Amino acid sequence: MRRAIVAGTATVSGIVLLLGLKPHSSGSALGTSSFSIGSGSNSSPSTSAAAPATTAPAAGNGQSSSSAPKSSPSTPSTSTGTKVVTGDAADTRYGPVQLQVTFSGKKITNINVLQYPTESFRDQQINSYALPILNQEAMSAQSANIDVVSGATYTSDGYAQSLQSAIDKAGA
Amino acid sequence: MPAVADRARAPRRAADRGRVAGSPGLRLPADTIPVAVLTLVGIGALAVLALWWKDTFNVVGAAGWLTGAGRITGLLAGYLTPLLLLLMARIPVLEHKVGSDRLARWHALAGRYMVCLVAAHILTIIWGYAYTARKSVVNEAVYVVFDYPEMIKGTLAALLMFGTAFVSARAARRRLSYEAWYYLHLTTYLAIALGFSHQIVNGADLDTGPARVLWSAYYVIAFVLLGWFRLFVPWRNDRRHQLRVAEVRPEGPGVVSVILTGEHLDELRAEAGQFFRLQFQAKGLRWTANPYSLSAAPHPRFLRFTIKDLGEHSAAVARLQPGTKVRAEGPYGAFTAGRVRARKVLLLAGGVGITPIRALFETLPAKRGDLTLLYRASWPEDVIFRHELESIAAARGARLRFLVGPRSEVGDPLTARTLSKLVPHLNRHDVFICGPESMATAAVQALRECGVKRSHIHHESFTF
Repeated sequence: MRRAIVAGTATVSGIVLLLGLKPHSSGSALGTSSFSIGSGSNSSPSTSAAAPATTAPAAGNGQSSSSAPKSSPSTPSTSTGTKVVTGDAADTRYGPVQLQVTFSGKKITNINVLQYPTESFRDQQINSYALPILNQEAMSAQSANIDVVSGATYTSDGYAQSLQSAIDKAGA
Repeated sequence: MPAVADRARAPRRAADRGRVAGSPGLRLPADTIPVAVLTLVGIGALAVLALWWKDTFNVVGAAGWLTGAGRITGLLAGYLTPLLLLLMARIPVLEHKVGSDRLARWHALAGRYMVCLVAAHILTIIWGYAYTARKSVVNEAVYVVFDYPEMIKGTLAALLMFGTAFVSARAARRRLSYEAWYYLHLTTYLAIALGFSHQIVNGADLDTGPARVLWSAYYVIAFVLLGWFRLFVPWRNDRRHQLRVAEVRPEGPGVVSVILTGEHLDELRAEAGQFFRLQFQAKGLRWTANPYSLSAAPHPRFLRFTIKDLGEHSAAVARLQPGTKVRAEGPYGAFTAGRVRARKVLLLAGGVGITPIRALFETLPAKRGDLTLLYRASWPEDVIFRHELESIAAARGARLRFLVGPRSEVGDPLTARTLSKLVPHLNRHDVFICGPESMATAAVQALRECGVKRSHIHHESFTF
């Protein structure tokens, strides 16, 4: 009996210690460095009327829509100042995240998730709720400076990276 | 193949014996291998935790804490499972250096711990997932079981595991025959096989590359070793040695000796103090392999076991006919001359615990006057092998004392005072104890009071 109590206490405190040593803030998905869209731009995101709804990824399939090549150069389709830019695929621990971002001028009007981790069922579960949240965050922030969605640290990180690369390409 | 391996091992064994007779100071402490095994197990556990550490970015909110705890407990339980198999795989080096009784105790402790880890894993994972998905725990539980891949199998595995744990719990086990308990225990193999796939498919730390390969290899190796040493080796020995009953001889009230004969028994390299698991191919005995100690030094043509009538099973053994085939697993056990570190040896036997002690008394290397046997029995008629022991004592110049009488009449002879009076220089002895658990516990305590080092007390219990 005493041994059971010792083993139980040791295990619980060990696990609590391990969990406690990890950082607890969700923080910015891009870590310490924060980015914003093109320097000096005075875009005011909230004023735009009725931003088009972001495209949610097709459930259960990472490659929604066309399977874009991983490092395809941005293919700006310039018609009435609208640009569609494919961000770099950001590799994460559980698989790549890649975005296709539509800009109207400097303003992000649509985000399409081309790839996200779907290796395991848990990845699919997490990303099916995390990606819409991330899309929303990015649309309202109008930058890659977005918060990590809890439970989806790696996806959030990859999302922000791919978004940043798309923003960089659009600005260039 | 086996012949080559045997030849390769033979010189090392000879060297072992040489060292027993030689200076004892040069040998490694007896606990080297057990300590090494436990260290290895600990390092493995740390590696598993490191895997989690490497893959975990941060722990955010209740969901993060719960899911994190679920992943850690799951990984540890998954790590422990093949270890439980390996402890029971009858791997010769473990059987010989750690001892079957200690392995069985470790297995039982680790088994209970593993069941607790599995329970914690299930609770925290479901609870954590429910937090993340903002669903009720019950909804999430149903979802996890029925919609996550391989989770029906995983759930069945957990149910089988809990069933076995319940049945093996001490209270329930008393009401259950050894045989029924034994066969229910076999379902855990199924549980382990069923539980494997959900770890690989859903385990966030096992879904890629080397971790996945190592984890799978670890499980495969455990099952292969188990199959090799528990199925293939006994089958091969069976064919080679053709063991059968030569004679069943009564030794005392309810005690019989079974003498087996067979071919090439020297190749078994059994040692005094070891035991075999015997399966007599007779009605009512065929399906159980019970552990029995050698009660005489092994002979190239004969092996003698002595069995006390402790139930239906042993009673059936007394009625065995000569010629009955016997399937033997073994030899097992570390209760041998290999444990001796001191020049002087004291053997302490209680009741039918004399069985392995009798064989050690005959064979332990010791100079005249360095070997003592104290044999405790409640009644004179319970003393078996009296004449054999007396002639061994005379031939080897060993001291032999019978401590006979119920405790109510003669008091407890296994106290520090009595022992130190009976055996001069007690603290310079290696002590081998075999007897009922209560006697062994009392003896160990008395010996410790007399200044005998823990590492010099060798005790094998047969409560499996």
